[in-house]
Amino acid sequence: MSKASVLVVVPAFNEEESLAATLDELARTTRADVLVVDDGSRDHTSGIARQHDVPVLRHAVNLGVGAALQTGFRYALERGYDIAVQLDADGQHDPAYLESLVEPVASGAADVAIGSRYVARTGYRAPRARRLGMVVFSTIVRLGIGRRIADTTSGFRAYGRAVMEVCQHDFPQDFPDAPLLITLARMGFRTCEVPVEMRERGAGRSFYTLGKSLYYPYKNVLASLMALLRRSA
Amino acid sequence: MEFLSRTQIILALGAVGLALFVLELVRRRRLSEEYSLLWVVASTAVAVLGFTTPLLRGITRALGILYETSTVFALGLAFTTVMLLFNSVKLSRLSHENRQLTRELAFLRLALEEQGAVTQTPSDGGGGA
Repeated sequence: MSKASVLVVVPAFNEEESLAATLDELARTTRADVLVVDDGSRDHTSGIARQHDVPVLRHAVNLGVGAALQTGFRYALERGYDIAVQLDADGQHDPAYLESLVEPVASGAADVAIGSRYVARTGYRAPRARRLGMVVFSTIVRLGIGRRIADTTSGFRAYGRAVMEVCQHDFPQDFPDAPLLITLARMGFRTCEVPVEMRERGAGRSFYTLGKSLYYPYKNVLASLMALLRRSA
Repeated sequence: MEFLSRTQIILALGAVGLALFVLELVRRRRLSEEYSLLWVVASTAVAVLGFTTPLLRGITRALGILYETSTVFALGLAFTTVMLLFNSVKLSRLSHENRQLTRELAFLRLALEEQGAVTQTPSDGGGGA
């Protein structure tokens, strides 16, 4: 890996079943520092992170994955990291791709690198409803910024310092997907996609429950629209 | 002066009662002055409309409404809508502030842990690691 200092941010909400495996795998595959943001879990998530000697920032109440990531950004900025990578606690994101994900940001080729399931042919097959959503949001993003981003919903991303600084002040609290990409693109940040493979989640429940799966499209269409209507800073 | 309809009188008295109740809440510090403003203005407006038939009639005609009472209800509904929207805006701001506080607390907690002042989060699931 290059000279840039990298922080792996693991947002975790009730992930006691899969967090240990994720942290073990991280310890085996990377020398980057790891931070767990416990987003108000009611289980032993924080304790497991401490057992692994990983620093934990614990939200007293559940704020959402975006807010957890934002907390990770602030930590990264305060401690002088150049790059923060979001890696989910549920085992979907393979740390083996960390290096290739960080590379474009570290080299200055991009400000945000997205670990994308669709750039190259990978083994991932999403459920039909989700595939439809991905096409819709990919289209919205393309209309919004005039450029195609295949995997707008991937949470496996590397963020450079300048992006983190901007995200300190304004960041989608629940689903940091299409609207975020539009906002960043309009601010002049460069985004690139890095092919990754994603796995089935290990244990625990997804952030995306039924209620959220109905709210998600509404929120993201509206927020994308608003991101386009706002004057870019 | 025309006779007031029974509905008008009931509405007006109700509005006066509401205004007094709102002021009483402020006096007991159960409602802040800031939030009382909309309520006092609205209930006073309803009371005034209820007692002055010509004004109410004029508004009713201007809005193309058939009955005066409907005007009062329409205005009441409009007020309710504004109030709810106002509350939603306040709620959004409050939850934003809540997030900031939660985050701040997390950082303070970590700083304390790093100094060795505390060892584990008390609310860590069923009793911590």
